[in-house]
Amino acid sequence: MDRVLIIDDDIELCELLAARMSGEGFEIEAVHDGAHGLERALSREHSMVVLDLMLPAMGGLEVLRRVREQSPIPVLILTARGEDVDRILGLEIGADDYLPKPFNPRELIARIRAVLRRTVRVGTGTHPLIAGDIRLDPGAREARLQGRLISLTSVEFALLEMLLQHAGRIVTREELTESVLGRKLGPFDRVIDVHVSNIRKKLGVSQGVERIKAIRGSGYLLVVRAETK
Amino acid sequence: MKLAIQSLFLKIFFWFWATALATGIALVITFIFGPGRVPSRWHSSLTDTARSSGMIALAELERGGVPAASSYIESFERDTQLRACLFDLYGKPIAGRECETFADMLTRAATSRSAEFGVKYGIVRVALLLPGSGGSDYIFATELPAGPRAAFGMDTAAVVLRFGVAFSVSGFICYLLTLYLTGPILRLREAAQQLAGGMLSTRAAASIERRGDELGALGRDFNTMAARIEELISRQRQLIFDVSHELRSPLARLNVALDLARGGKAGDLPFNHMECDLARLDEMIGRLLIIARLDTAAVPLEMTSVNMTDLVGRIVDDARFEAQNRNVVVNLTTGESCHARGNAELLYSAIENVVRNAIRYAAAGTSVHVSLGPQGKSHLLLVIRDHGKGVPEADLQRIFQPFFRVAEARDRESGGAGLGLAIADRVLRIHGGTIRAENVQPSGLEIVIEIPAAELTPVS
Repeated sequence: MDRVLIIDDDIELCELLAARMSGEGFEIEAVHDGAHGLERALSREHSMVVLDLMLPAMGGLEVLRRVREQSPIPVLILTARGEDVDRILGLEIGADDYLPKPFNPRELIARIRAVLRRTVRVGTGTHPLIAGDIRLDPGAREARLQGRLISLTSVEFALLEMLLQHAGRIVTREELTESVLGRKLGPFDRVIDVHVSNIRKKLGVSQGVERIKAIRGSGYLLVVRAETK
Repeated sequence: MKLAIQSLFLKIFFWFWATALATGIALVITFIFGPGRVPSRWHSSLTDTARSSGMIALAELERGGVPAASSYIESFERDTQLRACLFDLYGKPIAGRECETFADMLTRAATSRSAEFGVKYGIVRVALLLPGSGGSDYIFATELPAGPRAAFGMDTAAVVLRFGVAFSVSGFICYLLTLYLTGPILRLREAAQQLAGGMLSTRAAASIERRGDELGALGRDFNTMAARIEELISRQRQLIFDVSHELRSPLARLNVALDLARGGKAGDLPFNHMECDLARLDEMIGRLLIIARLDTAAVPLEMTSVNMTDLVGRIVDDARFEAQNRNVVVNLTTGESCHARGNAELLYSAIENVVRNAIRYAAAGTSVHVSLGPQGKSHLLLVIRDHGKGVPEADLQRIFQPFFRVAEARDRESGGAGLGLAIADRVLRIHGGTIRAENVQPSGLEIVIEIPAAELTPVS
């Protein structure tokens, strides 16, 4: 049974969600303030965190920042619809996906399942993927750059894995969204782009060129260069 | 009427007075310092007058010496109020007071051996050489009354100069006065227009506020009024925002509770209705929040170059599905690709609202026509035309107000909350564009959108 931590100050909503989701095979722990939520999120007792960004005292973004300092646990953020800035910030800090509030509970469950499927899944090919100085080991869920271990969130890992599998070829944003986030690409959906930008920051540039190239209007491509020099 | 020291009345009064005075003073100054010349036809009579006085003075000098000459000149000055002096040939004064006033004329009088004329302070002066009986020569210089015509001179250049001075001095001062009075009025007017145009933060300039006169008071009152209006409107907008925001928590709970009640299964009719209404409520609140946010403009929008041809194409593609269900065809006409500078997401939702609205009100079996093209050099023109019933002329403007719906359209079937066009209106205004509705013949409504075009950046 997957344990999911919900950090939301709406106590009644948490109770309803716990009741609804227990029927779907989830065990819900609800926490109603940021500080306590942070402590529980770092307890390693949960498979994922659902975090409302609108929290009193320690805000959701702050909780997320501190969680990410120590843990790659999948985090789904709940944002008020239209609060684009919070949403983008949340994704940049390292949230895996977002859902605008109020949400349909079926949608929430689907998103949670998609994220969990990705983390639980042991890589399709268990052999390591290598492109230039990047080495990804899906079995061990390890990513190395020039032999150095880099920390990726589960979405970032899945995204990079997908790009490595198709190294040198274009992967469309639609394909990436469906494979990595387990849902359809919506209009003005920038989630994939934020994740790519986060990965770029972690990988740095290679010989003065971005390793992941954006193909305008279609998608992304992992640049493979012959090691001539 | 109580007059403050700084009042406009006194200002106007004193300024006009000052203008009149300054003009007068300028005239007098040119009169005094202007170069004057004595008309030549008066020379002989003036010379005669001066010579006769001079001869007497000289005779007195030769008879009784310097004291006698001095006493004659003193009595001459007393009688005529005119100044006179007797000099030797080298310009050294012999009799008379304040003789240096003639100094400039002496050398010329001594060398030319004829009478020398001049005008100073509007009075004619003559200096001439007088032969003494002892063989030595003397110079006699005197002022003479010659009448105002002599002072003004007869030559036209001097007349033109004086009138010119009068015109330019009074004109310049009046210009400054007008500027001083009308400048702030014009600036206040500009501020009032901006305020009426929706820029609620507009205030009269500090330079107007600082004035002590009626215009300053008007400026301060204007600012008080503007601040009050801004406060009222922002409070109202904040209220809409807060209410919409607070409604979301119970809505979120209702969503979960409903889903829980139906046990995660679909099918039951009442539950379906409830879910449908919940979705509507959510949509409406979402749109209200968008409107509140656009009105307060708290967050600066991310503006990029938007390919409008692409955007409109996507909207039409998305809308075709809904149109099919209503048996309506959507046609799209676009030319070369057009770009606008703006927020793609907002523009998308604004235009989508208009297109969906057109589909909703189009009569079954008709078409909705969407066309996009350049309008002049600087704008894009987007026209969405349907073949529905149109809108009563009186309501053409009001359809852009939130929750406004044409009376007969107030049926459940039409759906929507009457917020779509209100959103479109605000989005376009933020982008510096306009949106208006027109009825077209034989039937139908045409929504005309104009939006500033972006300068095309070369595609890299």
